[in-house]
Amino acid sequence: MQLHYGLDDLKNINFMDFLPVILPFIAIGMFLVVFALQDLYRHRKSRENILLWTIVILFVNTLGAILYFVVGRKESGRS
Amino acid sequence: MNAGILLIKKEFVQMARDLRMVWLPIVFILLGCTQPIITYYLPTILEALGGGQGITIDSSAISQEGGEVLASTLGSQFDQLGIIILVVALMGIIQSDKSNGMLAFILTRPVSISSYLFGKVVSNYIVVVLSVTIGFFVSYLYVNSLFTMVPFSHFLIALLLYLLWVLFLVAFTLMISAIFRSQGIIALISIIFLTGCRIIVNFIPAIDVINPASLSKHASEVLATGTFNTSVIIIVFVEFIWILVLFSITNYWISLKKIDYD
Repeated sequence: MQLHYGLDDLKNINFMDFLPVILPFIAIGMFLVVFALQDLYRHRKSRENILLWTIVILFVNTLGAILYFVVGRKESGRS
Repeated sequence: MNAGILLIKKEFVQMARDLRMVWLPIVFILLGCTQPIITYYLPTILEALGGGQGITIDSSAISQEGGEVLASTLGSQFDQLGIIILVVALMGIIQSDKSNGMLAFILTRPVSISSYLFGKVVSNYIVVVLSVTIGFFVSYLYVNSLFTMVPFSHFLIALLLYLLWVLFLVAFTLMISAIFRSQGIIALISIIFLTGCRIIVNFIPAIDVINPASLSKHASEVLATGTFNTSVIIIVFVEFIWILVLFSITNYWISLKKIDYD
């Protein structure tokens, strides 16, 4: 069984087979991340730990953006 | 009831400022997509990543019915990650008002506690209902295109039953949010209790009758088998009693605490 794939194998993958199914999913996920980042950038003056939140939003899949909206926005709003 | 409508409006303004109206539906759409896609590609994923030699994957054998996949969307996405996300979104429902003095301010006005709670629950429940409905509908569309067709009536009945369970979830989080002060504790208690409710469904039939989480199980049953169990009516009735009890505890607690904040 083949476990390692080289770059040459990329040609053999038929993207059109699964792209129409996956694409809406990826698009909505991307939208959430972009939306969170855009909000973070717009309020960069009044937010704390901007670098940390950027990393969390980008690398913690979906949950990072949710955490930012719930926790990240509230704390700074009060101070 | 005029004050109640005003409070609902105020709550919607608050939610628009929180951007909760935007992210909650998106998250539920993502949850709704996940289950059909993963189930559909499971044979392919196992083939590519599973290191088990000698496993034969007969992709024609796993022809799941659409209804079963939709039921597993409820059972393994909405009832696990969905509960956590809803509780996290709702944990500040009264607690944030308490901590910034808004609750004490509102109660100095001629507004009864029950109309305050009414406004809170109705406005938050509307947003939650919209999110869950949109997410479940996206899941329904995916299932219809990737698996077999599910009758729309089954979808509607299951959705209605599920939304009743969500109403209990909202009322419970409201009560915990009124009682405790720290957001972490509110989230912890609500998540543990509500997922606990969902886990003990099916263990003891006697408890199922008074357990609102069994509505979620009945919703899955409607989707998977297409039949409707008449014992649901009793559970719905018991659930409304539960919600009334939760409301009166919340109401009592706030009226008790009122002295502290004045």
